[in-house]
Amino acid sequence: MKEIIEENEIYSVDIVSSNSINRVSMKFLFYYLSIFWISGWLLVVFWYDYITLLILTDEMLFKIILISLFPVIIFLSYFIFIFGCMMLSKLFLILINLIHKPKEGIFIAKKGEGDYEFWILRTQIKKLVVWLINNSPLPWMNIWSFKWFGVKVAFSDSLTDVWCDVEFIEFGKKILIGQGAVVMSSMILGNYLIIKKIVIEDYSVIGGHSTISPGTVVGKDTVLGALAITSFNQILEKGWIYLGFPAIKLKLNKYAEMDRTTLRKIDVDQSKKFKVKYEVNIDEDKKDLV
Amino acid sequence: MSIPSSMKVGAFTTNILVKKKYLGFYVGLMWISITAITLEFWIYWQYLWNSNSKILFFIFLPLLFFLMYITTVFLSLFFAKVMLIIINCLHKPREGIFLRENSDRDYRFWSLRSVIKKWPIWLSHKFPFPFLDNICFKVFGVKTNFSNSLFEGWVDCEFIEFGKGVIIGKSSIIQSSLIIGDHLIIKKTIIEDNAHIGAHTLVMPGTHIGKNCILAASSATTVDQKLEDSWIYIGLPAKKYRKNPFFEENLENKITHVIDTEALQAEIFKTYEKGKHN
Repeated sequence: MKEIIEENEIYSVDIVSSNSINRVSMKFLFYYLSIFWISGWLLVVFWYDYITLLILTDEMLFKIILISLFPVIIFLSYFIFIFGCMMLSKLFLILINLIHKPKEGIFIAKKGEGDYEFWILRTQIKKLVVWLINNSPLPWMNIWSFKWFGVKVAFSDSLTDVWCDVEFIEFGKKILIGQGAVVMSSMILGNYLIIKKIVIEDYSVIGGHSTISPGTVVGKDTVLGALAITSFNQILEKGWIYLGFPAIKLKLNKYAEMDRTTLRKIDVDQSKKFKVKYEVNIDEDKKDLV
Repeated sequence: MSIPSSMKVGAFTTNILVKKKYLGFYVGLMWISITAITLEFWIYWQYLWNSNSKILFFIFLPLLFFLMYITTVFLSLFFAKVMLIIINCLHKPREGIFLRENSDRDYRFWSLRSVIKKWPIWLSHKFPFPFLDNICFKVFGVKTNFSNSLFEGWVDCEFIEFGKGVIIGKSSIIQSSLIIGDHLIIKKTIIEDNAHIGAHTLVMPGTHIGKNCILAASSATTVDQKLEDSWIYIGLPAKKYRKNPFFEENLENKITHVIDTEALQAEIFKTYEKGKHN
């Protein structure tokens, strides 16, 4: 019995590493090139129509209108390219998922293993579209790319500036994830690749520069402090504030009890006297309240 | 490559001294590398526009843009290397501790080297697939391998050595030069085979990370620290925690999660007591 307990402690995952892809091989260039080439044809057709229309019309007024629409055309061409890339990458993904279905678990991370290579391929294809939208003039539109690849997201979430994985995650509504946070549902530890689903429920707030490891369940209305780290398969209960490494309860979240469906109207400048302990810079017309 | 958009604070190089005369190097490099694009487009135009079927011109046009991107990167790398060779003859780069002042020759040449490297590195990171990344590092003298992943963090471009199969975590910083107060510290960082560096970590100049080592997330090493082979390090500054068991065989069914997180935090704090490990 003692040996089993000790063995369990040795192999428990109590640290968090990361999930970067190493062994980036050149065969992925084939997928990228074909996606860019075919989306490039869409752009070529679009620009050909615009330029022939501009050259072949005789009326001056129509020419002036077309020339003044030039910035809009540039803006539109970037989004046409993104549209083409989204269609093609989804097509590739459907074919690849038929060959090898994505699943959770613990796999060996070595060259030649099926699960590992297909994980690399899936992330590379999905991150192309996410990267394109992150670099566009409207970076908050990356919610479109998450929805397109099947991740459950709501439009009221705020997910920019987050190093986020694109599979095996579920988001609720009205979530705020802080800048620089790392949300990973897959992790490479030694020779092993760990994939487990993350669930983040409604109204939760996750602090900046924090790390969420695979398998965590963040309950409703929880707050995870900045720079915190959650451990593998940890469950954060709803309505508490967590902090530290690994994340430990600090205190209750008193704003969790507020009812979000009704608006409260509070008059601040009513005739209530305030006690002031230190020197405070008060406006002239409010000095009679102190 | 998966860096969020507002965190792209420039190229992956160190801080530099801002001087107006460095603008000449920047603009010169950019100019040379972009002139080749016009030549390529002109050749393509002459060859395919006058042939029998004009459809071929439009079919291969997207591939031409990809080719133009690759030639700009390679040309900028070539001319940056030429400039670096000339400058290294004027003043050889060396390690040590220097003063952060305009009169210090090492400081000025260190800034100049970083300025020259900025444009090729920024260009090669502009493609979503990081296949040009390792080529950039190799040309600038960093010993690395194609099986490393160096693109998810901020990695310096000189005085670093990597082994095979290194994984660098997201949002982590690996430095070989450091500015503290009035001093500039430059030392060589060595990272050996199969090291895993976690998310949000800092690796200071002069560290030597051994084989099969794991640096946990949100930790930092100190200057000139040596991390031994096959141990797990944790904390700020990094201290030994326990031996690394995750490189053994047949562990797929044995890896479990931690049940009592408060006990785990107490145990991690114990490594900071005096006289323990280290």
